[in-house]
Parts: sequence; C-alpha cells; structure tokens
Amino acid sequence: MRTKIKCLALTTLFLSTSASLCAADLTKAYDMPNATEMIKKDLFPAATKYTMPKSCNLNDAKAIARGKYMFHNLNGKKAKKPAPEGLVKFVEKKGKDGKVKKKPKQFGNCVACHNIEGAKGAGNIGPSLIDYKALFIDTKARDAQFVYQKIADPRVDNANTHMTVNLTTKLFNEQEICDYTAYVVSVKNKK
Amino acid sequence: MKKVLLSLAFLSTMAMLQLNAGEQFAMSDADRAMYKEMLENNPADIYVEEGGELFEKLGDEAALAKFLGVSEKELPKYIAGFPRYIKKLGNVVGIDQVLQAMQVEQGKEKTKLKSGKMFSMLAYVKSLANDELIAIDVEADEHIKAAYALGEKTYMTPRGGRGLSCNSCHSKDIVGQVLRTQPLPDLGEVAVGGTWPAYRMTKSSLRTPQRRFQGCMKNALLKVIPIGSKEMVALEVYVTKLAKDKNKKISIPGLKR
Ligand code: HEC
Ligand code: HEC
Repeated sequence: MRTKIKCLALTTLFLSTSASLCAADLTKAYDMPNATEMIKKDLFPAATKYTMPKSCNLNDAKAIARGKYMFHNLNGKKAKKPAPEGLVKFVEKKGKDGKVKKKPKQFGNCVACHNIEGAKGAGNIGPSLIDYKALFIDTKARDAQFVYQKIADPRVDNANTHMTVNLTTKLFNEQEICDYTAYVVSVKNKK
Repeated sequence: MKKVLLSLAFLSTMAMLQLNAGEQFAMSDADRAMYKEMLENNPADIYVEEGGELFEKLGDEAALAKFLGVSEKELPKYIAGFPRYIKKLGNVVGIDQVLQAMQVEQGKEKTKLKSGKMFSMLAYVKSLANDELIAIDVEADEHIKAAYALGEKTYMTPRGGRGLSCNSCHSKDIVGQVLRTQPLPDLGEVAVGGTWPAYRMTKSSLRTPQRRFQGCMKNALLKVIPIGSKEMVALEVYVTKLAKDKNKKISIPGLKR
C-alpha cells in the first residue's frame, strides 16, 4: 500500500514519466487460467441405485459380443477389430465452434483392472472375472442384478470403490450396461 | 552432442525392447537396466541446457534471486520450496509463473505456460535446486494452506466420464497393483515433486509435473484443466507435499517411462 501511494505521488509529480521508479503491479503479469467451472461441469450425481431393465436379454449373442468388445477396448480409435453389430467406433459430437466432429466412442476398458477369459495385459485392481458364471452366478453368490448395479454404479455397495462409474456419469446407456452384464455372466471359451 | 546421440541409441533400443516385453508389465527387467544406464545420459539434458540459454535472456541467477527477494546463496533452497505464495504476484504460483512475471516486468513477451520453451526454462531453474531436499511448507501462510486444501480436494474429487479421481488410482491401498500392464506408482515415493520436469520416454519429450497430471486426466477421461490454473498449482502443491513427507530430493531432469 505504501509503495502504491508513493508511486501515485511520483507519477503526479513527473506526469507518469517513469514506470521503473515505482514497483509495477505484477499480480496480473502471469497466466492463471480459470479451471473451476470446468471441474464443476465435470462432476456427476451421487451413488445411484438401478434396476436391470426387463429389456435386458442376457442370452442375446449380439449383446454378449458388444459387451465383450467394450470390455476389452479403451475406445474406438484404439480398438483394432471392426465393431460388432449394434456398436460404432466413432460418434459425432458438436464441438465448441458448432461444427460436428467425429470422435472415438469410449469403451469400458474393464480389462485394465480385471482378468477374464482371453484377456491381454489384464490388470489386477479389480477381482478376476474368469469363470464368473460357474463361481458366482450358479452358486447364487451373485445375480445379474448385482452385476448390473456394480457396472452401472459400484458406489452403491462400496462407497470407496476403485472401480469406474459407468451409468451415472452417462458415459454409457442402459443397453450398454446390459451388454457388459451379459458378457460377464456368459459362459466363455477358456482362451 | 555425442552424449545425445548415445541417448538416442539407447532410446531406440528401449523402443524395440518394449515391443518384446511380456504382456503383464509395461517395463521388463531388461528395460529397467537400460533405464538405469540412461539416467546417466538423460536425453532431457539438452532441453535443460536450452532452458538455461532462454533464462539467460532474463538475467542470471542473481536477477532471479533479486526478483524473489532472497540472496543468491539461499536461492537453491528457496526454489526447492515451490509452488509457494509470492506476495507481489498475489498468489501461490509455480516457477513458470514467476518467470512470466519477470518477463513482463522487463517489458518482454510472456512465454506461454504450455510451451516447450517454458518447459525447458522451468526445468533449468528447478535444476538449480538439485540435491536440495524438497522444501515445500504447506503451513507457511494462509495462502499455501488454502492451496494445499484445494489440491487435496482436486485430488480426491471423482469426475469425468468414468467417475475417477486421482486418488482412485494413486491411493495408498492400491499402489503397486497393475492397471493394464502399468504398476500404479506411489506419487510420494517416486518423488513427483522432485523428478519432474522429466524426460518422458513414451512421449520422447520433456514434460512438467502439471503436463504429466494432464496426461492422467486425459487417459482417465477427466476434463483436462489448464496448466497454471489455481487447481493445477494446488495439485502440484499437494503432490509435492507427498514427496516431501518422504524426505525426497530435487533431481531434475527426471527420466520416466
Ligand atoms: C479402475 C479399475 C476398474 C475398472 C476400469 C473396472 N473395474 Fe470392475 N471392479 C473394480 C474393483 C476394485 C472391484 C471390486 C469391488 C468394488 O470395489 O466395488 C470391481 C468389481 C467388479 C465386479 C463385481 C465382481 C464381484 O462379483 O464382486 C464386476 C462384475 C465388475 N467389476 C465389472 C466391470 C466391468 C464390466 C467394467 C468395465 C465397464 C469394470 N468392471 C471396470 C475395478 C475396476
Ligand atoms: C485410471 C487410473 C489413473 C488415474 C485416474 C490417475 N492416474 Fe496418474 N498414473 C496412472 C498410472 C497407471 C501411472 C503410471 C504410468 C506409467 O507407468 O507411465 C500414473 C502416473 C502418474 C504420475 C507420474 C508418476 C511418476 O512416475 O513420476 C503422476 C504425476 C500422476 N500419475 C498424477 C496423477 C494425477 C494428479 C491424477 C489426477 C488428476 C492422476 N494421476 C489420475 C493412473 C492413473
């Protein structure tokens, strides 16, 4: 504050000749872009309960194929094989400039955390899902509704889960959660 | 120059090894041995050198010390305490923002925070603190306290398409587990605050800590927030404190997978 007053006095005296005489205000001299709004927009609702829709056909081979594809791939750009029926690799999105752009569709990349039949480079953050039907469904330890809920929003039964939230964030829709569920509970080839 | 060529030779060998490596881990034992050797010939040394030349245009270490209001002798220790609250800048800032303010004060054009030139300069200035213990003091004043709290909040907040936070993948109870071939690092143990800016082998370039954070945000589908924002600086404060708690030293440039 003192410097500012001195500064003011000096500038009036010399009719603002030399800026170097007073300490320049540097509080705006560097970049500090705003991220607060970006983060706010990126938030999503609290843990949400879901009921597996009646339309979910867990025996539909096409649903299982889609679930498998999404389970093993990160997004449409990284996915090498052609997408199965009912799934696309790229979606059209309107950019900030209003222009429609093709963007890779995001997939679950579940294999990053879970081992499963035929997995390549599986992670171990989540439990292995190998032989899931025999070990968990047939033994009645779990049912399809549990699996559906877990994939849709795992926070419902584990508030501190490390697993991704897939329906509440709207990255996927109900049908896609069905597809994942169908794949997880299906009988698979060992390799 | 010979040093650089040697490093490049190592790099291409690395790339080949990477292809043959097992599927479980992104880095094999052979890779790791190579990595050790590369530490002696860090390809980022040329960037640091370039950063030194760019920094020279702003004056020397004495000029920086003067700008920061410390003696030249104290400068390395002082640098080891960034990000910190700088009164005349009115915020908790990173070294890159200090350099911008110096440029403006001297009537020069500001170098963009996200530019390669700024990354190099930042690496050079931070390397002046090499071998110093990380000295961030998150209790020093109310401003840094607030930044630390904001950093913790930003670190813990799940967001984005997959509902993940930094903590989802870097919390204590998950460190060392494998996410698609990559063991999850303990950000304190790997001394993020002391080893970035670093040469990122998979990107073949020099990256700053905040640029590295952006990488994780992008991969995990968190909206990527800009370098230099309050939240980014706060994240750096939070993560640097993790390394300080483990008594880590500054060692710039780092070398990363
Ligand atoms: C970032 C890690 C991560 C990702 C990605 C992930 N999971 Fe999980 N998953 C976990 C963890 C950890 C658990 C353990 C239970 C919990 O924390 O809720 C789990 C539990 C499960 C379970 C319950 C197993 C049981 O019977 O207890 C299923 C089913 C499952 N995940 C399916 C999926 C599917 C399908 C995807 C992809 C859409 C996926 N996971 C993505 C980490 C992950
Ligand atoms: C989905 C998981 C995931 C999320 C979410 C995530 N990270 Fe990471 N992070 C990783 C993995 C895996 C690595 C190791 C990558 C490698 O080996 O190259 C890593 C590495 C890092 C590193 C480099 C550590 C080193 O070697 O020096 C930093 C820094 C980092 N993360 C910070 C963050 C921050 C900050 C956030 C939140 C904004 C975040 N991460 C969110 C998975 C994640």
